Amino acid sequence: MRFVLLLLTAIAIALATGFGLSYYALTDGRLFGAAQIGPWISWPDLGSAAPNPYSRGHLAREAMLQLGRAEGLQFVATMDSAGEPLDLACSYRLDGHVPVSSFWTLSAVDRQGVNLAAPGADLALRSSEVVRNNDGSMSVHVGKALSPGNWLELAGTGPFSLQLTLYDTTAFSGFSSDNDTMPAITRGDCA
Amino acid sequence: MTRIVLWLLGGALLGGIIHILVILTLPLLAEETTWSRVSAFEAKNQMLILPQVEAGEPNPLRLDPELVYGLCQVDLADGPAYLHGLLPDAFWSLALFNEAGAVIYSTTNRDGIGQTVELGIFNAAQTRLLAQQQLDIAEGLLVVEAPSDRLFVLVRLSPPHEAMRKRFAERLAAISCGPRP
Repeated sequence: MRFVLLLLTAIAIALATGFGLSYYALTDGRLFGAAQIGPWISWPDLGSAAPNPYSRGHLAREAMLQLGRAEGLQFVATMDSAGEPLDLACSYRLDGHVPVSSFWTLSAVDRQGVNLAAPGADLALRSSEVVRNNDGSMSVHVGKALSPGNWLELAGTGPFSLQLTLYDTTAFSGFSSDNDTMPAITRGDCA
Repeated sequence: MTRIVLWLLGGALLGGIIHILVILTLPLLAEETTWSRVSAFEAKNQMLILPQVEAGEPNPLRLDPELVYGLCQVDLADGPAYLHGLLPDAFWSLALFNEAGAVIYSTTNRDGIGQTVELGIFNAAQTRLLAQQQLDIAEGLLVVEAPSDRLFVLVRLSPPHEAMRKRFAERLAAISCGPRP
């Protein structure tokens, strides 16, 4: 009886760690194939000719057209800088700098990758449209509530994620020590 | 007590093995791959403009709404593939994907090529013919050697403003792609 119980426990642990770890590694992936700067996560190996097994698994799950190494990098944030999940009920502010790039775009999507821009609003915010502060940093408002300055206007309810895509970037290239910086995401008022 | 711990450790070890097996076999088990999604478009030997991303609509290929995408599927078994044309003066980049969905080559217009797209894709045998000067190619052609035959090319073009999108898409669609006639 004791033997059977121990065997079942061991099998349960094996299944839970095996599949749980795999699911985590391919979705969040921070300890595996993904790199993190603040709340932003990127998979730097996705665009290489021979991605590592975790990046390959991530690609197989998403089946998307990823950027090649020379083309750029995409960062995704599902949480704000305080670690709270991004929710459409709240408004957010992005402050800071991005790594050197030719240009970048910022858009908001839900879990299925559906764009959440408000009807009639731009689907994404582009770096050339952003008004910057005197020190060259940027402040971008994201959310449904009417906001001044740079505003990515959204619609809908529930959790969302932000995608910041840098084209032709030097991020993670190791050329400059203070280059790998991403804007902080601060939560504002919630409805 | 030791026995219980050993059983638990054994379970965790088996979990690790399951994890490695899952990660390694997942790409082989996937039914809907980048290749199958791309093959659904009829882009064989022609530059096809992918439909624009709309708010509230599914976007399975995770396209950037700000860009115009041109897709072309080629098979090097029909001979080397050539891309030829001129793009507007704006950022563009090009990626060559293999059947597994990995980018085997990518470049941007800032790598000194400017507006001209002149690219030749050759497999290993064709590269050998090229080295033996048995294949005639135009001067200034960017030569890319591909390890496999079935590939697709994705060109991303960035219109600086939404008003330019239609004109940019027309220019991108005018790029010729495929084996030499």
